[in-house]
Amino acid sequence: MLNYVWMSLIVIGLLVGAGKDINDEVRNTYRNGIPIEATVRVEKTPTALRQTWEGDLVIPAEAFNRFYGITSSVSEIRQPVEMTTLSSGMTTISIPVDESSPEIWKEMARNSSSGNKLAGTVNSIKFSDDKSTAQVSLLLEKVNYVKLRAITKAALDYADTAVTISLGLIGVMALWLGVVKIAEEAGLLKVLTKLLTPVTSRLFPDVPADHPAVAAMIMNIAANMLGLNNAATPLGLKAMEELNKLNPKLGTATNAMCTFLVINTAGLTLIPATAIAIRAAQGSAEPGIIIGTSIFGAGCATVAGLISVKILERLPRYKKALLVDGHAPEPSNG
Amino acid sequence: MVELFRNIINIISVAAVPLMFFVFVGWGIVRKVKVYEVFVEGAKDGFHVAIKIIPYLVAMLVAIGIFRASGAMDVVIAVLSPVSHLIGMPPETVPLAILRPLSGSGSMGLMTELMKVHGPDSFIGVLASTMYGSSETTFYVLAVYFGSVGIKNTRHALPAGIIADIFGMLGALFICRIFFGV
Repeated sequence: MLNYVWMSLIVIGLLVGAGKDINDEVRNTYRNGIPIEATVRVEKTPTALRQTWEGDLVIPAEAFNRFYGITSSVSEIRQPVEMTTLSSGMTTISIPVDESSPEIWKEMARNSSSGNKLAGTVNSIKFSDDKSTAQVSLLLEKVNYVKLRAITKAALDYADTAVTISLGLIGVMALWLGVVKIAEEAGLLKVLTKLLTPVTSRLFPDVPADHPAVAAMIMNIAANMLGLNNAATPLGLKAMEELNKLNPKLGTATNAMCTFLVINTAGLTLIPATAIAIRAAQGSAEPGIIIGTSIFGAGCATVAGLISVKILERLPRYKKALLVDGHAPEPSNG
Repeated sequence: MVELFRNIINIISVAAVPLMFFVFVGWGIVRKVKVYEVFVEGAKDGFHVAIKIIPYLVAMLVAIGIFRASGAMDVVIAVLSPVSHLIGMPPETVPLAILRPLSGSGSMGLMTELMKVHGPDSFIGVLASTMYGSSETTFYVLAVYFGSVGIKNTRHALPAGIIADIFGMLGALFICRIFFGV
């Protein structure tokens, strides 16, 4: 199933992205090649030292919306601009885009060559008598294939993120694996395991009750409950390593692994610390109000996950994947 | 009551790690384990495990990145809108429900955004933070945990994980409607 989900994410992503780009191209969403009329309130005129005109670009909201064929734009468009007349006689314009800029311009700027500015050329410029305002007709830089560019960027960025996350795990992994190793050698894990045997033997019938995997799983689940994410992942990976020692068919997940994974993905935690912290940061009067509801929600997820994992593992198609050379494997003794 | 529970859990959370170190190492010394040597021996594996995860995590995150950047989320939301309408889920929170199992940082950003727009104590704000707290980033956990031991055939883990996510979101919606419903 993972194969299909993975493929679907990519194929749907590419198709939708390409579709949107074709749609943009056909409808000319960004009005490539069509000049837009605007007024510039001139604040600084060129001097011997400075070759630029500076001022505010003003476009009435109605004209802006009509030009781009949108309805959602804010009031009057007012942006600082810089115009430069080159020696060739051509005048270029540069519009820095910020938070207050209209959505469509922000999107165009993100896809422009500079990343945060709209660049263009001035087709015609007509000054008022006192030179305080100018009527300009602008041709903005061409914008196209927005989504395909975004997809390329996302693919490269996320590949980078994956490596950053993995490498970031090294230190904390080493720390916890070291500490757990001490507990293992000291026989502490056996004590912990014995206490919870009634629960674990039901959840993981294939894992011998005194196997080190059980202790690692218990510690991982406990760390998750307490919201100790830094400890939970290394302990969980330790548990996976131990469970893999019982795996008769390397590369294929065992029933115990799937059960353990589902408990982890359901994410039952007594204090949803991240959500509470963000609520507090957003000025909530009662940030902790979601503790109860989150426990309920994650409880639902855990119960539903455990029931479905136990039902699904009996399905022939998932049972078949466990067979080694077409035979059921010998029961493992750990 | 909630406050007391929260305080107790907070104390346990803060004390858990130092206490664990103390008990584990202390127990080791009592049992005459060569603690330093054993620690180093165990810690040695940390590097290998982290490196082993990389290809699995790259594969997973890149696919999710492509999906998100393409704007395909809007298509999924449109397809699901009759369902969300039927169960009384506010349309604003549907993207969060879909993104939650895919991306931890993405869904955190979305939750923050919803609270910023609607207020953290509004129904949508409470529901969004409950939804965030009711599940884990399933695809990330799957890639990391299975990746660390080289599992390629994940069998029924993903369907069960997704069923768990769906029930987590439904449970969050149900309980929020009972307690904070409008």
